[in-house]
Amino acid sequence: MPDVTVTIDGVTIQVPSGTNVVDAARMAGVAVPVFCYHPRMQPVGMCRMCLVQIGTPRLDPATRQPVLDDAGRPVIQMMPKLQTGCTTPVSEGMVVNTVADEVKFAQRGVLEFLLTSHPLDCPVCDKGGECPLQNLTMQWGPGMSRFDYNDKVHFEKPVPLGDLIYLDRERCILCSRCVRFQDELADDPVLGFDNRGRNWMIISKSDPPFDSKFSGNTTDICPVGALTSSDFRFRARVWELDSRPVVCTLCPVGCNLSLDMRYNQLMRVMPRENGAVNDIWICDKGRYGHRFVDHESRLTTPMLRRDGQLVPASWDEALALVAEKLAAVRQAHGGSAIAGLAAPRLSNEDLYAFQKLFREVLESNNLDQRIGAPGEPALDDLGALLGPGTGSDLAQLGAGTTVLVLGADPEEEAPLYVLRLRAMARRGARLLVANLRPTKLDRSASTRLRYRAGAELAFLRGLLRALSDEVGTDRLTVKSSGLDQLRRALFATSLDDTAAACGVSAADLKAAAATIASAEHLLIFYGAEARSAGPAVVETLGALLALAGKAGQSNSGLIALLPGGNSRGALDMGVRPDARPGYAPLAQPTIGARDLWNAVQGGRVRAVWVAGLDPAASLPAARAALDAAEFVVVQDLFLTETARLADVVLPAASVAERDGTYTNAERRVQRSRQARPPIGESRPDWQIVQGVAQRLVQAWVATGAPAVPAKGPKDGKGARGARGGVEVGAVAVAENGGWDYLTAADVAAEIAERVPGYAGVTYPALAATGKPGSWGRQVNEAIYYDGTNYENTEGVGIKLPSLIESGRASLNLAPLPVPATADDRPLLLIAQPLAYDGDPLLRGSRLEAHVPEPYVALSRADAERQNIRPGDIVRLASSAGELALPARVVDDLPQGVALVPANLAGVGLATVQTGPRTRVSLVKVVV
Amino acid sequence: MLGELLKGLGTTLRYMFRQPVTVQYPEVKRPVRERFRGRHELKRFADGKERCIGCSLCAAACPADAILVVPAENDPANPKSHGERYAATYEINMLRCIFCGYCEDACPTNAIVLEHQYELSFYDRRSSIYTKEMLLVPEDQGHGDPPPILQQLSRRPSPPAQIDL
Repeated sequence: MPDVTVTIDGVTIQVPSGTNVVDAARMAGVAVPVFCYHPRMQPVGMCRMCLVQIGTPRLDPATRQPVLDDAGRPVIQMMPKLQTGCTTPVSEGMVVNTVADEVKFAQRGVLEFLLTSHPLDCPVCDKGGECPLQNLTMQWGPGMSRFDYNDKVHFEKPVPLGDLIYLDRERCILCSRCVRFQDELADDPVLGFDNRGRNWMIISKSDPPFDSKFSGNTTDICPVGALTSSDFRFRARVWELDSRPVVCTLCPVGCNLSLDMRYNQLMRVMPRENGAVNDIWICDKGRYGHRFVDHESRLTTPMLRRDGQLVPASWDEALALVAEKLAAVRQAHGGSAIAGLAAPRLSNEDLYAFQKLFREVLESNNLDQRIGAPGEPALDDLGALLGPGTGSDLAQLGAGTTVLVLGADPEEEAPLYVLRLRAMARRGARLLVANLRPTKLDRSASTRLRYRAGAELAFLRGLLRALSDEVGTDRLTVKSSGLDQLRRALFATSLDDTAAACGVSAADLKAAAATIASAEHLLIFYGAEARSAGPAVVETLGALLALAGKAGQSNSGLIALLPGGNSRGALDMGVRPDARPGYAPLAQPTIGARDLWNAVQGGRVRAVWVAGLDPAASLPAARAALDAAEFVVVQDLFLTETARLADVVLPAASVAERDGTYTNAERRVQRSRQARPPIGESRPDWQIVQGVAQRLVQAWVATGAPAVPAKGPKDGKGARGARGGVEVGAVAVAENGGWDYLTAADVAAEIAERVPGYAGVTYPALAATGKPGSWGRQVNEAIYYDGTNYENTEGVGIKLPSLIESGRASLNLAPLPVPATADDRPLLLIAQPLAYDGDPLLRGSRLEAHVPEPYVALSRADAERQNIRPGDIVRLASSAGELALPARVVDDLPQGVALVPANLAGVGLATVQTGPRTRVSLVKVVV
Repeated sequence: MLGELLKGLGTTLRYMFRQPVTVQYPEVKRPVRERFRGRHELKRFADGKERCIGCSLCAAACPADAILVVPAENDPANPKSHGERYAATYEINMLRCIFCGYCEDACPTNAIVLEHQYELSFYDRRSSIYTKEMLLVPEDQGHGDPPPILQQLSRRPSPPAQIDL
């Protein structure tokens, strides 16, 4: 857009055309006070606080040229009345005066009016201390009010808008920021105005009230203390808080958070600005779901099983016992008799150390990040192979971008991506939402594609066929193989047949393919429902990206919504049975979680180490196997079901209590800092792993027994490449065998050295990634938002290059064989991930009340056929087993699908699942 | 030399018959000035409710960081103070306190008042921390009147205090 020149309070600057006066003034370093204006939302001019004097050059009516005065300067014609700066776009030659007496008079008047009914209960208000109304009143207000204090209108004090947000109607100045946030940004239009005059108030229109996953953000943008967060209510005054930068590990978005601590206790969670990840927003799961760090059920001491009981012990005892037992198992049965499972929410440092212990000290490759439930889909490699390229920044994408969201419900799987996708769509991106059932994202989509349940692959083949009809295969530039097989598979059936098979018309497929083909940038999000349809679906998505010519390019790529906050990091670190760090495949397959429990029962695996996972809670097979295993170590935050079966329980430090880096779904590595000392005696997971490793290495050096992989001293780290090159210098084995990390930064430095793709991702480099955005706190404290502090001092993180970009990997286009299913049961059982599920990390938070009771959702047609009414108990039967659940009847669910929330405590979905997708039959249970 | 000696003893003799300037503390206690700043008290309203609303402004104003306030929400059925908020914990470390009276100035409800009690001695550091129970006046005492300094300045208490005066 062309720049226009404006003069604001004597400062002449160039700003992009279309900028409003408030923003332009800010660029000129001039403060215009605002209440209702928020730069992320459309201006409405409701509060009248930004009134300024505006003049434009007088135009000669005949020539349409500016009239010049004697000195040759354009004559400025001031508008007869003050204008609201937020709704007035700048124009060429505009002159703005924000300090005229008239303006000051208006500002004082507006504030005096806003305060007529404001209760002035700042001492008891949670916003006090970071309240724009306080600050603007101090800076621009009249100092005295002509209204009688006793005439203030009083309302009943807080009314709950929902159970997370309280509304104090006395304090509200009716700026509508919250209403507009819900309407424009969150797309949950659940707030509105009611009544009028002095009874004008905000109400919630939804049932349950304030039904939104982003409701907490309204408390941040509220310029007064009208909306307050129920879990920070009267906890502390804001000036007493100490903000510590951490990264959210509750979903793969990796939002930047500030944990606001007082005396090392978590008071509240606030967003930290990062334009590339979460802008200035976070979802309610991140905001309210961190109460686990202070929960009373946290483990505080190591525990050992003595006489069948877990009793507290010292770290020395516990670590020595673990080392001794693992050494014994390895001695007797070899390293392959030991298996390790590590949660994909642990930091990269933990996961790296965990796999290093297994691969290098115990010589076992039996690692996994899953629990071995039948519903877990295959591990996702394509999100790394074809991830968004270097320099990708979702905040920059708009017109010219096509986003395909396939089989995902971002609102439940990675809530903040809803805001990101909507922001992209608002800037002009084309949003194609393809799913077998409606999701909330449909409302924001430019094109909705509804394929038949189970026909994901047909749909994608159709789309790929239409795309190759459109652009051929010339755009395929990356290293790849199997193009011919792909072509054969695509052209085996006609587009019309494919369209008929998937339920999306050929015209729609062609239109979608045209949108993809014409895109400058192509992003593909896929979620649990797409991944559950099998690896062939994901692979076809990769082919789609490659054929569109976008593979390995900046701002284009695949983004997988995986469960767990650091799933991508866990895959990168090689916590998996089939590959080493950096996706280097292993020659021989080892025992992953899927085979683990049988292997334990069969005696092939004797010892199991579980870090942060809880297989026993949902898998009867795991429970039995852990019972039977010779030795079980569990390190976790809580005494989980699995921990109850363990021989040794080691207390781990939570995300708030340790340093670490996390890799998000886009493969951006971000650093999280320690917010407070670990609770009790708990330790960061990597330290626990190191404690065992050191003891093992020392024991073996002392006895000279099984050879430890020879390793240079510390400076020789990395001599042994991650791919197993044996280039060891002629040095004596170091005393600790490479296990001498003092801080998490040391582990990160070794990751940077040894994990392909992580080169250069060290703590100093992460710290040097610059100050993101321009939000922060303003110098003059009162331009847009002088309340809540979103300041980010930690940088934006480092975006890793995709593997295809780095040229080390190639893409296999050959279609994967699709296993034929012989099961003819009528319904397709799909486990639906929910944001508020049985995650043990939600304990202690107000979100626990939002976790639904187990249910199975059925389409109206399916329910009516068997005369099932909502609440009836139905029995699902598959070839694996049976499961009885209360039914919910959902209008817009397609026929032939049964949705059951995944990962709810006590559902026992594993008893009925035969794989990520299960065919089931349905019987109503008559009581 | 003898002259000086007698002169000195004479002075002693003279003072033996004068009223002494000192008092026999602790048997006798000299009254303090009206504006003396001694130990803090947390006052109550006439209806017996606590004046303190747990706003922590005293702690914010305290130059010695002697005050700890942990607020909480009132139980609507049995409120401790007027309004929604009260101080669940209120502690003053008397070893840190410099008796400057800033807390008094900062208090929007005139809840904290530096009174005339000055006998503050402890055998250990821990007992120098005065808890809310020690600072709060009994329910039937110490309510109503704004402290003298405010009366002299004819200052109106700020709004939260006005509501229920």
